[in-house]
Amino acid sequence: MTNRISFSHGLQALLLAAALLAPLIAGPYWVHVGALAWYYAMLASSWSLLAGYAGQFSFAQVAFAAFGGYASALLRLRLGLPLILAVAAAVIMAMILGALMGALVLRLSGPYLALFTLATAEIFRLILVAEEDVTRGSLGLQVPGLFSGDSDLPYYYLGLSLVVLTLLAMNGLLFTRIGLFLRAIREDESAAQASGVNTTLHKIVVFVVTSGIAALAGAYYGHFVGILTPNMVILPEMGLVIAMAVIGGIESLPGAVVGAVIVYGLSEMLRDYGEWRFVLLGLVLILVQRFAQNGLFPFLERHFDRPMPLPSPTRNALDIEGEHVNLS
Amino acid sequence: MSTSPETPYFAMRQLHKHFGGINAVEDLSVELQRGELVGLIGPNGSGKTTTINLVAGALKPDKGSITLDGTNMTGMPAYTFARGGVARTFQVPRLFNRMTVMENLIVPALTDAKTSRKQAERRGHEVLAFLRLEHLARALARTLSGGQQKLLELGRAFMLRPSLLLLDEPFAGVHPKLLEQIIEHIRSLNADGYTIVLVDHNLDAVRSVVRRTLVMARGRKIADGASDEVMQDPAVIRAYTGTRRSARTPSAESLD
Repeated sequence: MTNRISFSHGLQALLLAAALLAPLIAGPYWVHVGALAWYYAMLASSWSLLAGYAGQFSFAQVAFAAFGGYASALLRLRLGLPLILAVAAAVIMAMILGALMGALVLRLSGPYLALFTLATAEIFRLILVAEEDVTRGSLGLQVPGLFSGDSDLPYYYLGLSLVVLTLLAMNGLLFTRIGLFLRAIREDESAAQASGVNTTLHKIVVFVVTSGIAALAGAYYGHFVGILTPNMVILPEMGLVIAMAVIGGIESLPGAVVGAVIVYGLSEMLRDYGEWRFVLLGLVLILVQRFAQNGLFPFLERHFDRPMPLPSPTRNALDIEGEHVNLS
Repeated sequence: MSTSPETPYFAMRQLHKHFGGINAVEDLSVELQRGELVGLIGPNGSGKTTTINLVAGALKPDKGSITLDGTNMTGMPAYTFARGGVARTFQVPRLFNRMTVMENLIVPALTDAKTSRKQAERRGHEVLAFLRLEHLARALARTLSGGQQKLLELGRAFMLRPSLLLLDEPFAGVHPKLLEQIIEHIRSLNADGYTIVLVDHNLDAVRSVVRRTLVMARGRKIADGASDEVMQDPAVIRAYTGTRRSARTPSAESLD
């Protein structure tokens, strides 16, 4: 166990160092791509907390991102709030909406939850399109930038810091007993309740946290890209986030970040191939699902981190089974 | 809060539960004294599991009331029942499959905010030693055999330090050797003062363990008393032979 944790930490430290140094060799175009990848990294990792850990397979993550983007931009533009206050208010409002969403979907699971959240996201997208007076509809809402100058480098490092901070916050949450309860709820909600877990509270908590992070990601995206459109909420965007989480490792938050960088990076690298790049990405997804079902990051962890002399716990269980009184 | 003989530890009064047009439980009243070991039997579809779900708070009754140790629990969520000392197992074990055996055990303990993870794990090891499953602490629950899963579920119920333990068919599909072990566990828990309700089809196994037996048929309580007397009750014989032999005997009524 300690081996595995230290390997995982080592790998994460290495990847963080690579991310910090990458702009030294990458040109401005790839710095721009990287800064955008951080937006997706926050969405994918928060979605993997929501879906992978807590089992709440929601399609509304991009809608919360759009809400964060629009809300912080409008609070700045219309009410003249200072940046920090506007972003904080947008995040808090998203958390309140997340609590509401969590409460609404309490009794839903699997495909019903997915359809409910998909419909909610689509309604929100249509509101963004229809409310032209407020959102400027499909024309898009212009958002003032954060930094003067043309370089995307400040955004790159801001995005990276947000990714690291949100990862630390989510990992901190998972490290407490709440993480254990969320996994128990994912595995069997009735059994979790019978064990004394307040499932209602914990499901709402996970929606609150992940909605807040999505909104923060959206606010970052808006101020970086400079324009917000309802297209942030289209289904293929959500599909991209899911693919990132699944490829990186749906039950691994850093894995989802790695998945976001790989998928977004690949889709940019393969830009010359037009629509064919999505076929290739689909192939990557299929291959990962076939050969590394839990995603690339956990696959690497397992592959490079075999405590050689000790059999794995699973193996142990099977070995000893025969010796124990057995059984149906 | 202490319970005198007049105020039972657990009481359900005139409970009703229906699903659509089916009355799963009708006008059911049961009282349990602290430390009792009670069998709940009945043919398939007689409402046993619905009753367990009502007692554990997993289902809310349509009518009637439930009190536990003098507190009215009617309509409370299942986790409140669990924290109030009502623990249960399921007919088919419902474990946290992709979590380790130890993680399965510490979940109930950690729902008490005052219990630290270290304390929970220490208690988890005690429970595993009691169940003779210590060597499996780090195994994933889903890698356990069927019988071991039953034991682990029992262990997870102990972790709540329950005062009322509801066991839904603990003997079903269990190897005879393990059956002895489970019965031994149930007896020793009862000797330690646990109130236990045992649901099963296996009349002989139930009879060998409990002194008092409740019999249900079609959602109603048809008998309640000393196990040996209950087994002689004509209504009980009719309920059992009626369902067991209905395919072969044209008229079960002819038996009494």
